[in-house]
Amino acid sequence: MALYIVEADCISCGDCEPVCPTQSITEGAIVFKIDKRTCTECEGDFDVPQCVKVCPIDNCILPLEA
Amino acid sequence: MSQNALSRELALRIALAARALPNTDTKQLLAVLSDCVDAPMTESKIATISLTDFQVADGGVFAQVDSHLLQQALNILSNTAPDKILPSTQAYQNGDLPNSVRIACASDDAIHVNGHFGNCAWFMVYQVNADAALLIDIRTAEIPEGLVVDDKNVFRAEQLQDCKVVYVASVGGPAAAKIVRLGIHPMRLEAVASLADVIVQLQTVMAGSPPPWLAKAMGIEASERFKFEQEAVG
Repeated sequence: MALYIVEADCISCGDCEPVCPTQSITEGAIVFKIDKRTCTECEGDFDVPQCVKVCPIDNCILPLEA
Repeated sequence: MSQNALSRELALRIALAARALPNTDTKQLLAVLSDCVDAPMTESKIATISLTDFQVADGGVFAQVDSHLLQQALNILSNTAPDKILPSTQAYQNGDLPNSVRIACASDDAIHVNGHFGNCAWFMVYQVNADAALLIDIRTAEIPEGLVVDDKNVFRAEQLQDCKVVYVASVGGPAAAKIVRLGIHPMRLEAVASLADVIVQLQTVMAGSPPPWLAKAMGIEASERFKFEQEAVG
């Protein structure tokens, strides 16, 4: 269970990085990326994923298909 | 004050006109102008300067300058009315410029990106690819008289909905959010820059390794994009 950032849509604004409760978001070579091993989709911390909440682009952060 | 002092209005026009010309400061333009007309310099005398006079004056310092820019400078000198200083737009059909994006620049003088999103005089709309840029439209931030709109900034952003990026000198936070919501990237410049410089800067990025969202806007296929990404990683 994790989220991922759609590379073609991310504008590298960096808004998501500081709001992640598990520090799973880092700036990659191209755009920001989410570490799927540590992403909890904010379960246990918040009702909704915080990165999705602050991301200015629609459908840029999506659930990773299992 | 000397008896040859310029009127405040003319001094302003000369300063604006100098900014319309590449690598020209007010002093240089004044030298050319004083070669064109006899002292004292007045608005009516300045208005009679022809393009040819302008090109050969002061030993022909402006001979190599693009005649469009010279004409624009003359227009500013003779009359600051908006319809006189605006450059002409060029017809554009979808597909004329391959791998291009459409951008809007908020401007108050049609020379610099110096406008605030909500109250700039014009949005200069360009179609830009790595090699060329066409001024295809000039729109305003004004709400047409008599039209009732729910949200003025949403209305303004909707007028630019075909653009991918809007360059501004300033924009309010809520307005920026509304622009983003319509799929347009607001770009606030740290310092006022000329329209030409902003376009060249964008073209440099487009010709190099554009970020994925820009590559997508340029219509570069994901497989081609992959190459850019490989380069960026490597």
